Amino acid sequence: MRDLRVHFPTACEVVRAVDGVSFDLAGGEALAVIGETGSGKTSIARALLGLHPAGVTTGSIRLAGQELVGLPEDAWRAVRWRRIALAAQNAGSAFDPVYRIGEQIAEPLRHHRGLTPVEALARAILLAEEVGLSARHLAAYPHQLSGGEKQRAMLAMALSCQPEILIVDEPTSGQDMLARAEVISLLGRLRRERGMSLLLISHDLAAVAQLADRVAVLYAGQLVEAGPAAGLIEDPRHPYTWGLRNAYPSMTTARDLAGIRGDLPDPTQPPAGCRFHPRCTQAVERCRLVEPTLMPLERARPFPRQGGEDRWIACHLGGLQTLLRATDLRKTFSTNGSAAKVEAVRGAGIEVYEGEVVALVGQTGSGKSTLARLIVGLEQAEAGRVELEGQELTALTGEALRRARRRVQYIAQDPFDALSPRLTVAEIVREPLEIHRLGTRAEQDAVVRDALSAVGLPVASEFLARHTHELSGGQLQRIAIARALVLDPKLLIADEPVSMLDPSEQARVIILLKQIQNQRGMGLVLISHDLALVRKVADRIYVMRAGEIVEWGPASRIISRPQHEYTGALLAAAPAFDL
Amino acid sequence: MPGLGILTIFVLVALLAPVLAPYDPHALSGQPLERPSAAHPLGTNDIGQDILSELIFGARISLIVALAASMGTVALATLIGAAAGYLGGWLDTALMRGVDVLLALPRLPLLILLAALLGAGLPQTIAIIALLFWPAAARTIRAQTQSLRRRGYIQMARQLGGGTGYVLRRHIVPALAPLLAFELVMAAGRAVALEAGLAFLGIGDAAAKSWGLMMRFALNLPGLLLGDRWLWWLLPPAACLTLLILTLTCIGIGLEERWQPRLKRRP
Repeated sequence: MRDLRVHFPTACEVVRAVDGVSFDLAGGEALAVIGETGSGKTSIARALLGLHPAGVTTGSIRLAGQELVGLPEDAWRAVRWRRIALAAQNAGSAFDPVYRIGEQIAEPLRHHRGLTPVEALARAILLAEEVGLSARHLAAYPHQLSGGEKQRAMLAMALSCQPEILIVDEPTSGQDMLARAEVISLLGRLRRERGMSLLLISHDLAAVAQLADRVAVLYAGQLVEAGPAAGLIEDPRHPYTWGLRNAYPSMTTARDLAGIRGDLPDPTQPPAGCRFHPRCTQAVERCRLVEPTLMPLERARPFPRQGGEDRWIACHLGGLQTLLRATDLRKTFSTNGSAAKVEAVRGAGIEVYEGEVVALVGQTGSGKSTLARLIVGLEQAEAGRVELEGQELTALTGEALRRARRRVQYIAQDPFDALSPRLTVAEIVREPLEIHRLGTRAEQDAVVRDALSAVGLPVASEFLARHTHELSGGQLQRIAIARALVLDPKLLIADEPVSMLDPSEQARVIILLKQIQNQRGMGLVLISHDLALVRKVADRIYVMRAGEIVEWGPASRIISRPQHEYTGALLAAAPAFDL
Repeated sequence: MPGLGILTIFVLVALLAPVLAPYDPHALSGQPLERPSAAHPLGTNDIGQDILSELIFGARISLIVALAASMGTVALATLIGAAAGYLGGWLDTALMRGVDVLLALPRLPLLILLAALLGAGLPQTIAIIALLFWPAAARTIRAQTQSLRRRGYIQMARQLGGGTGYVLRRHIVPALAPLLAFELVMAAGRAVALEAGLAFLGIGDAAAKSWGLMMRFALNLPGLLLGDRWLWWLLPPAACLTLLILTLTCIGIGLEERWQPRLKRRP
């Protein structure tokens, strides 16, 4: 399939449902097309069956060398069912309610294969057995079957003419978990036994991971990323794929769900440049102007990062950026000039990717805070590098360093200490703007008010004039967060931001941090000793002990399968209600 | 605070001196060495000047010296102490070793030396006092600055990119304010005493009618203590000096208690 476009003309506009999509489907291969509802997945399926009115579909679809686009309707009949068959979405309404299921499965056999009714019915029974339905089901009317059974019947119907390519549109949506699991295993089995190609259209990532060899990610009618299924889901590189994965609930992680910020664009007026840029956390000027093309990841990425084999991506920046890369940092403290030295950080480092929440966990004294303070420049590192968006910070001085510092903000553990007791709330939140001389006084006041409302604090002048001793710990920590937000940073480093708060306030502040991180598309490093807490928000976890990182990886893996004994000990010690 | 009340009386007397004093202190308003009378409530001195007028105008000298010298002391001490404490490093070491040397030098010979070098006069007296007193105050201010520098909010302001000038102006000096007030009052008390001492030794401004100078002239009279003349010539300036110094010290201690509530005695 090359440069497929499906444009629906409406009264005054053109709905660009599919806009230049190309992919190959090899014999016996399973390809999944994923994307949010409205991204154009079903339009592709219908184009493959020639179901759109003439002139709507342009581009090229070649089936074993034969061009399908522009084929006359009677030529399509030889293709539909026999070579490409569709098991439609929403199996419930795809059946005609007045005919028995068996008759409906037999119908394409009679039409396309020219079988007699009796032969067709005999074939239908065999097909039904193959998908796990009995004669009783065939005699039933559609409304008498469950959703799962109808889905099976639909598959039997699609398989009736032994197609080379089976298109399955949302086979698992709207079904309960057990029915869903059965459909997935059935599809896998059918594909193996029949050796046919499978085009799976779904937003069900888990089903895709189990069934597909390759995955193509569709956004607003265009492919944004494609590659082998396992690698793509484990290590997504396009910001959209990454967001999609994080929006998907899974048993292996305890993390809360986070949707992708913003909404799908209006298909009549897709945004200029990269279509994802209004929702992308890392968009640059070029993304607004130039449309990126799908190209192999090796060619797309500006600086190398491990992994991502056989991956194609449509992103000017080569996919998710590394926001922060701190490597081999070292810091030794000498106690009061005596000979005894404490090696607080011994060659530790972390990486944070765009829009990600990274947790740094470890016991008190493991060097977590020192590592954070080295990164934000509160302490001077003896060795190592800190790169922010590819820019080496340790080499910067003067104004360039001041500018770079705006992009990383630090939230300290103890807000009583970190906020001046002498300034008012408004003065505290405004201070970063004042130091960087940003905007007029009125603009600064507006930013301060915005930041305070973003953290759920009042903006009444009475509140703005208060001092820190008149506020609660939770309010103070919110003020600290608001203060960190006014410079609109790319990365927030929060050092035990809730350890001084009571559990209820802890939960509220953590949820707030996560929300702000998601909405503003920032990276967040959460430093904590509390694994039970961080696993609720973290995408990846670093475990630190005695100044070194001992283990790191996706949060789900660290929580469910810790490799280092220290991580195991931390997990075992995490509080639980063992009643 | 009763100290403030007494200080206010001193200040009012100094301000209203021309109104309150019966005579110009420099004028020869009577016979030499008159005894107290209705015309001269405290009598006259050895050249016939009114002692009460001298006393009232003397308050001006003492208070001007107290104010100017203490301000000079604290300004110098803040500049050096805060810079050393905040910037640290070699600058801190150099400045603090300098302070050590100044503190180790014997006071009185240094004082006489400075007075001889700078000459007599009120501005010189003030400069000498400020130069002599700043090292001790600078030490205290440096220690306090060092402890402030480690506070989270000051570290955060630095991390945000706040320069030295900004952090000192916005955070350190306001935080030092109570300490500076205390140092100011204590320096004022010491300045009053030192000015009197300098005048008494004759290395102050000979033209300024200060209490120290009055005592010097009184004691110069042979046999002063043999009669009762000291009661109205020597005692009033000495008592005024003592009261003013005591008042300032009391205010200072009061301020220190307020600044460090730990020092407050439990009732």
